[in-house]
Amino acid sequence: MARATVVGSYPRIGDSFEEQRLRRAIARFEEGKLSDSELRDVKRSVTADVVREQVDAGISLPADGEVTWYDSQSHFASRLDGFEIDGLIRYFDTNTYYRQPVVTGSVRWREPIVVDEWKYAASVASVPVKAVLTGPYTLANLAKSDGGFKGLVRELADALAAEVRALRAAGTTHIQIDEPAITRAPRDISLLTEAIETLAAEKGRAWLCVFTYFGGVASILKDLASMPIDNLGLDLVQGADNWKALARTRPSIPLTLGVIDARNTRSDDVAALATSLRELREHVALDASYVSPSNGLEFLPRAKAREKLRLVAETAHLLEANP
Amino acid sequence: MSLLTTTVGSFPKPPYLLHARTLHAKGEMTAEDLGDLERRATQEWIAFQEEIGIDILVDGEQYRGDMATYFAENLEGCGVSGLVRSYGNRYYKKPVVVDELARPAAITVDWWRWAQDQTKKPLKGMLTGPYTMMDWSFNEHYPSRADLALAFAKVLHQEARDLERAGARVIQIDEPALSARTDELDLVVKALGIVTRGLEVKTITHTCYGNYDHVFPIFNRLPVDQIDLEMSNSGLDLLDRFRREPLKKEIAFGVIDVHTHAVETAPQVSERISRALTVFRPDQLYIDPDCGLKTRTVDEAKAKLRVMVAATRSVKASRGLT
Repeated sequence: MARATVVGSYPRIGDSFEEQRLRRAIARFEEGKLSDSELRDVKRSVTADVVREQVDAGISLPADGEVTWYDSQSHFASRLDGFEIDGLIRYFDTNTYYRQPVVTGSVRWREPIVVDEWKYAASVASVPVKAVLTGPYTLANLAKSDGGFKGLVRELADALAAEVRALRAAGTTHIQIDEPAITRAPRDISLLTEAIETLAAEKGRAWLCVFTYFGGVASILKDLASMPIDNLGLDLVQGADNWKALARTRPSIPLTLGVIDARNTRSDDVAALATSLRELREHVALDASYVSPSNGLEFLPRAKAREKLRLVAETAHLLEANP
Repeated sequence: MSLLTTTVGSFPKPPYLLHARTLHAKGEMTAEDLGDLERRATQEWIAFQEEIGIDILVDGEQYRGDMATYFAENLEGCGVSGLVRSYGNRYYKKPVVVDELARPAAITVDWWRWAQDQTKKPLKGMLTGPYTMMDWSFNEHYPSRADLALAFAKVLHQEARDLERAGARVIQIDEPALSARTDELDLVVKALGIVTRGLEVKTITHTCYGNYDHVFPIFNRLPVDQIDLEMSNSGLDLLDRFRREPLKKEIAFGVIDVHTHAVETAPQVSERISRALTVFRPDQLYIDPDCGLKTRTVDEAKAKLRVMVAATRSVKASRGLT
């Protein structure tokens, strides 16, 4: 039966005073009034809240909410050899910005990047927690480099394969690789596939998902579904053409179906979505799949993100109650 | 006239105003008392701009919280969301469009008129553009992004006309979201064209922090007289492109990085201006910061602006420009 999951990011502050403690802590840290360990404690307490909110809403496979990330690019690039971090640039078509990594030399894995964050989130959860990595193709695509693009993707794939290895050694059972950039450049599917194969070679028995969002992947769905992974995540809101592509392509791989709109506050019609998903049953492995938001929830206010979590769980519940 | 100096719009609020806004939000200060302090801060910023010799002034937006929600709060059919993250530790509230948009009264005109009365130099009327208003809003009412952008364009045109009637000589329409979706560039041009249609004043659009490679071809199509671009944050990367594909409008050229605490040196800024002059005519080139300075402290913003004006004067003197 379809279960509920998330894509990864989650609003780290809300509107209440208590929910804004991380914002205050970072400001105090920047003023030199809070130590590294004090800031880490606040981040951990917010991570615990974020995991709890997901589980309480009925999410069976939560993530840590990416509470500690400055952004999805520099969080990784700053912990790899071969990058410097440059100025702000718009993150896809969102009104959020990331600090752009600039390649300055050979890219190599240096130390665990998200292992401690995952360990902490897993320690406070009553269910398995998914570790999320920005994928090698997207990291390369959003970085600035004077060198060859393919070579950069391959170096990043090797570096992130080491991170997958480190996660597995730490006991991670569920790993998701985010590759939103492929929605903008489907012509690069062979390069993406090669990179994912490099990561998959290190996954061992862990469940490995590749999630594409911020658009559709209709023209390359068959290729994506043939990658050596356990689950394929799709944005069915901004990538509305994925619905028809699924019916046409009939992938056998289990999916994460991003049906709840994570970019807009309007409440989704879960009954209509459940009906549409039921209609997919003859084409996809619905019972082995997950229902999720269309992308990370950090683009919404915290209260709306909580509501969207409930809608994800409700959609999964409707499928279960009336298959 | 050449190398006229200006700024992008916002200045940091002084600590006394930040404190007052907090008190007002808690219900511990009246709107009238807050307004007095907003006017005091505005006067201080206007006096500072005059003191250092900036040519085209702004009011500094001391009375605005956020560039999009300020308009949302003053339009019918629009509310305001909870906080969402912009980057790092910065958060903002977004408009939420829940019904047909309408402008019950002029939004910026009274403030513009009062601020212009404080100075003899031209003071820009400042609007947030229709595409950006759409892109930064949650849309719970209109059937499409295009429908919402055009609805914002209609009410912003009314506002621009009212600013012009009030005497504004320069109206800036900010479109920081311009580069958000390359498949919507025609919509940007169409919506902006609705706002500027029939205006006789100088019009400007400001944009920043985007990947301009794909949007570059529309710069000459934008229905405004001047484009205002962030250039320093991206290492003046666009200059070579402008050399190959000349701009047929005026340009306000960002020479100050607004996202670093470090204050540029005058030689650094002079070098940026000199490089700009290898591509643009002096009468076509305006000098300003990359973006609004509200993310800096008052002292940082003032120091950066002093350097900008000093460097501009130095370049003008060395080249015999007036």
